[in-house]
Amino acid sequence: MTAPVTSLSMPAYQPPFDIPPIITYAVPAFVLLILIEMIVVKVTKRGRYEMRDSATSLAMGLGNRVMGIAFGGLAFAAYLGAYQFRLFDLGWTWPVMVACFFAEDLAYYAFHRIAHERRFFWASHVVHHTSQHYNLTTALRQTWTGTLGLNFIFWLPLVLIGFPPLMVLMFSAISLVYQFWIHTELIGRMGPLEWVLNTPSHHRVHHATNAKYLDANYAGVLIIWDRLFGTFVSEDDKEKPRYGIISQLGTFNPFRVAVHEWVGIWRDVRGAKSLREALGYVFGPPGWSPDGSRKTSRSIKQAWAAQQQSAAVPAE
Amino acid sequence: MNLEAYLAQWIAEAPVLAGSAAVVVFMIAVAALLGFRNTAKIDALELARLAEAEGARVEDSVIAPNARQALARLSGGKLMVARVMGTDVSARIAPIGALQVAFRKGKLSARFADLGFPPLHMRLQAPPSWLAELAGEPA
Repeated sequence: MTAPVTSLSMPAYQPPFDIPPIITYAVPAFVLLILIEMIVVKVTKRGRYEMRDSATSLAMGLGNRVMGIAFGGLAFAAYLGAYQFRLFDLGWTWPVMVACFFAEDLAYYAFHRIAHERRFFWASHVVHHTSQHYNLTTALRQTWTGTLGLNFIFWLPLVLIGFPPLMVLMFSAISLVYQFWIHTELIGRMGPLEWVLNTPSHHRVHHATNAKYLDANYAGVLIIWDRLFGTFVSEDDKEKPRYGIISQLGTFNPFRVAVHEWVGIWRDVRGAKSLREALGYVFGPPGWSPDGSRKTSRSIKQAWAAQQQSAAVPAE
Repeated sequence: MNLEAYLAQWIAEAPVLAGSAAVVVFMIAVAALLGFRNTAKIDALELARLAEAEGARVEDSVIAPNARQALARLSGGKLMVARVMGTDVSARIAPIGALQVAFRKGKLSARFADLGFPPLHMRLQAPPSWLAELAGEPA
């Protein structure tokens, strides 16, 4: 995080303080909290753990770090490149940092929503949703292909506006650390905080495959974006979330988990009969097919809504 | 960033990665010690439930002797493969043509064009006629 800044002759760029390696510092807390959660689950029988599932999640987290070292520089270079064309020199002031926190969280919302709505970005993000469990190890089940899958482009507008790249990265890291603790079934609802913050309850809905819960709660730190843009769904006590993805994986192999959707895209594109079909397979919604024979979130929700409606109409 | 700096970054990160790997192994060991190693079993009821969730019903099925894998013929000309994933069961439903089925020397193999659902292999004494037909074997 604190890396190659000194050679840049851009005063607005350099932070007035050393940015600590936020994620590295958070890792011991992650480990401790996971161990505590495992013990609580064991003792209280609330929540679920499965050794192989957790092993896969932890391996994905480690692989994500490796890929970050290998390719993270590309994203950083893109931020620096974009920063050359910034509209304003915002610099490192408190008001700018507050604005950057909100802007980063909005950028995360945009990224996250599109990562669910467009297969090209879903191919990386799907990894995070492949566990059928929902516990703190699920938080670490991260993509290996995020940078190569161009996820960083959603934060480029921030540096183009003039937020220093390191400031954007700092708030991205804070957001990532924040999102760790919300991956648990041990915490219920949190009162008034539910209005403003992304909480375990809100994020359980996001990870659920129940038709009612699909495509909801994309928030990073603040749930206000979902409330503003109409994607908020609250957890229903009568409908327990079922976790994972629509087509649950049949493997714990981290390599298969990491690339299965990319390979799926490749196979579909190879079999496409036209450019339109090929583009649909890559940039259409996950599950898109030319003849509509596969399921998308929308088709699942429509079928569910129709079922609800017919159930609500009293029989004559 | 030049190659030297890139390599220096890897060298600097190597101890952190090694430590992280050790912590991962430790946490998996703790999970094992705490007994999070339960395994689900597939039976006819589970297959029926999985099929029903997709608006289909099971016409016939074969379940592996260890009850960890199964292949079922569903209504509507579809096949379902199911596999135990820890305490859960994952299933795929597809038209018959989307699955490559082979039966050789008492071993059934069913393969999807899906990297996320590896091929299913199970031992069977004698496949039912529909399965033998699918595998191109005489019933």
